[in-house]
Amino acid sequence: MKILGTGIIFTRGQGIGVLENSLRSGWVKPAEMDVPRTEGNTRPVYQVDLDAVQDRSLLKKLRRADKLSKMSVLAAADALADSGIADIARKKIGIILATAFGAQVTTFDFLDGILDYGDAAVSPTTFSNSVHNAAASYVSSSLNIRGPTLTVTQFRFSFQSALQLAQTWLEQGRCDYLLAGAVDQYGDVLGYIAEQKLTAAQDGRIKPFVFNPTCQVPGEGALFFLLGNDRTDSAYCSIDSVSTSGDPDCGKPVDINLIDADGMLPDESAYLSALSPDTLTTAYAPIFGSMMIGGAFNLATAALMLKQQTHYAAPVLDNPHALLLLSETGPAHIGSIRSIGCNCFGEKSVVYLSKLT
Amino acid sequence: MNRADILITGMGAVSAAGIGLAETLDSFARVQRNAGSVTLFPTVTDCPVFEVKHVPQEYALEGQRTLSLALIALDQALAEARIDDLSGCRVGVCLGTTVASQLNDLQFYTSYRQQDFTSLLAVDRYLKGNISAYIARRIKARGPVLTVVNACSSGTDAIGVALSWLKSDLCDIVIAGGADELNHIPYCGFGSLGIVNPGLCAPFDRDRKGLNLGEGAGIMVIEKKNSAQRRGVSSDLFLGGYGSLSDAYHLTAPSPDGAGLKASLRAALAEAGIAPRDVAFVNAHGTGTFDNDQVEGKVLEEIFGSELKMLSTKGYTGHTLGAAGGLEAVFTAAGLREGWIPASAGFLNQDESIPLAPIREKTLISGRYAVSTSLAFGGNNAAIVIGRGATE
Repeated sequence: MKILGTGIIFTRGQGIGVLENSLRSGWVKPAEMDVPRTEGNTRPVYQVDLDAVQDRSLLKKLRRADKLSKMSVLAAADALADSGIADIARKKIGIILATAFGAQVTTFDFLDGILDYGDAAVSPTTFSNSVHNAAASYVSSSLNIRGPTLTVTQFRFSFQSALQLAQTWLEQGRCDYLLAGAVDQYGDVLGYIAEQKLTAAQDGRIKPFVFNPTCQVPGEGALFFLLGNDRTDSAYCSIDSVSTSGDPDCGKPVDINLIDADGMLPDESAYLSALSPDTLTTAYAPIFGSMMIGGAFNLATAALMLKQQTHYAAPVLDNPHALLLLSETGPAHIGSIRSIGCNCFGEKSVVYLSKLT
Repeated sequence: MNRADILITGMGAVSAAGIGLAETLDSFARVQRNAGSVTLFPTVTDCPVFEVKHVPQEYALEGQRTLSLALIALDQALAEARIDDLSGCRVGVCLGTTVASQLNDLQFYTSYRQQDFTSLLAVDRYLKGNISAYIARRIKARGPVLTVVNACSSGTDAIGVALSWLKSDLCDIVIAGGADELNHIPYCGFGSLGIVNPGLCAPFDRDRKGLNLGEGAGIMVIEKKNSAQRRGVSSDLFLGGYGSLSDAYHLTAPSPDGAGLKASLRAALAEAGIAPRDVAFVNAHGTGTFDNDQVEGKVLEEIFGSELKMLSTKGYTGHTLGAAGGLEAVFTAAGLREGWIPASAGFLNQDESIPLAPIREKTLISGRYAVSTSLAFGGNNAAIVIGRGATE
C-alpha cells in the first residue's frame, strides 16, 4: 500500500508545502488562548485558524458543518489534489476517518441546548453534526465520494487501526483508492480535562524525549492520505506493515525511529524500550501539538522525509536519555522509518514505511 | 478462500425482546413488544422506548450500560462458540456503537458548567471504555481492535470489517457486532429531528409515524473454518459477503433513489457469489420513519422483486442505533437456522408508494441465504449476506 497524496491542516496552516516549511523552520511557540477555569486563564494551544484558509470554495458548501467536519473536508480534498491522479474523483474511493474524540465540541453545544432549553427544544442541526460520522459524511458529500465510508475510534491507535483496515480493503478490491484520515478538535472541556489529568507545558514546548515527567500542549487538525496499490509519479512512500498489538518485526533494522510521544501520558518511558542507541530517533509533536491522533501527523512527516529524501530535525531536542536524535535538517538517504505509538495500557502500535524503489 | 469458509460459530443477543436468543425467539413467535416509558433517565417527553428491563447483577458496570449489554451478548456468543480460553488464538475485536464513543455525560457536563468541583470519574470511564478495546483486554484478545462509529450502520459495518480482517489473515477469530444503551442525548436528538413515534413504531406501514429508540447488543463469533476445525467446533452458518457504499447525499436523509443501498446490496451479493433469487429473506433496516422505509422498500423490490420475504425486527427491539446491525445479523442468522422468521411487528396496512410489504405473520423459510441491511446518518449504507449450509 502506498501513500499517493497527503492533505493536512494544522496550527501552522494548510497543505503539504506548509508542513514542509514548518519542519524546516522548526519550533514556534503556539498562540496563547483563553482556557476557562485555569490559573491565569490562558494557555498555549496549537489551534487551527479556519479564517486563514485562502480557498473558501469548499467552506462555502459547509456552512452548517462544525470545525471538525470543515478541517476534515479541507484535508481530504487536498490529499486528492496532491495525488495528481487524473480524474481521481471518478475512481472508486473509500473513506476511513479516525478520530479519538469525534465532534465533542458540538456534542457539548448540544448538551448546552438540553440544559438551557430542555429535552424538547434542542437543535436538530446541532444533534446531526454531533454524531461521530458527520465529518466523514461531509467528506463524502462535498467531494462526491460514494465508496465505503467508515468512521472509527480507538483513542491513541485510531489512525493506525484505520490504516490496518485500509490495507485489507485495498487488497480485497473493495475500493481502488482510499482516503484514510484522522481528525480531532480542541475544545474548552477537553482543555480542562487535559489540564486536570496531565501537566501543561507553560512555555508551550512539548519535550518528546524527556518521557518522565511529561508535559503537553493541546493541538487540533486533520490529516488525510490518499492510499492505493499502484505507484504514481508523485507518490510518497510505501506502508509495509501496520500493527496495533505490538511489533512483530521488532528486530527489523530501520533508518529512523519516529515516536508519537507528546505528553499525553504522564509517563512515556515505554518508548525507550522500542528505541536503539544506533538508530536515529525523532518526534514532531512540537509542530502539531498533543493529540491522541498525533501519530497521523507524525506519519505525514515520515512520508515527506521518504519522498524528499530529507531529514527534518526534531523541533525540540531536550535529550536527558542521550538518544541519537535526528538533530539536523538536510538531504539524506532514508530507506525506512518505523513509527511507534504507546498508549496508557502499555500497548504499542507500529507502522513501517519505506522508500519507493 | 471458499465463499463459505468464514463461519459464524457463536451468537449472543440482548434487547427488549429478550436476554439470549431463546427468549428473543419466544418474543418473536408471540409477537410480544416489550415497549414502555423511559425509566433510565428523567425526561419531560413521553415516547415509548424498548429498554432492557433487567441487567443481571454480574454484568452491571456503573455508568457503562453499553458495556454491560455487550458483555451479556459476548458471554452468550463465546459459550455457543465453546471458547473459554483464547490463549494461542489470533483474535480480533470489532464492535460498533454510538453512545459509548461519545463523551456526553450530562452529570459531568452540568458540574463543569456550574464550575463545581468536577469529578472526572465519567471521563475516566469514557477513556477506559472504548468498547472494542475494553472487550479485547477482558478476553485477552491479541489481534486487531477497532470500534466502528458509523451511526446506525455501525454494527453491520463492524461485521463487515471482521470479514475483511479474516480474509486478509489478520486473525483467525473476530468478536464482532454492536452495542448501545438507551441514552438521554440521542433520545433528545432524535426527538429534535421529528422522527420519533409517539406510539409504537410500524415499519413499512402506510401510517408509520417514526421510530422508537431501543437498546441492546448483538455479537457474533466469526471464525475461519480451519480455526473452528482446529478447535473441534463446527457451524452450519457462514458470513458470505459485505457491501458498504455511501450516498454522498445528505447528513440525515437517505438518497431518494437509494443509490448507495443498491450498490451495497449488489456488492454484498457479489462477494457471496449469489444472485438476488438465492436470498430467502431480507431483514431490513426498517426504522418506521417515512423516508427510510420508502427508499428501502423501493430498493428491495427493485433488486429482489415483489415476492421477496422481508421484515423489520425493530418492532420488537426499537432502533438500537449502534447495536442494530449486530442484533439484526444475529436475528437473520437465527432465522436461517430455525427455518422461520417472525411477523414484522407493527405492520398493518401497505403503503401504496412502497411496492413491497413486509410479512404479517410467522413465516417458514427454506433458502440458504439471507440479507441484513443498515442505513445510517451520513448516508452510509451497509448490507451483509449470511448463509446456511457451510457443512454441505
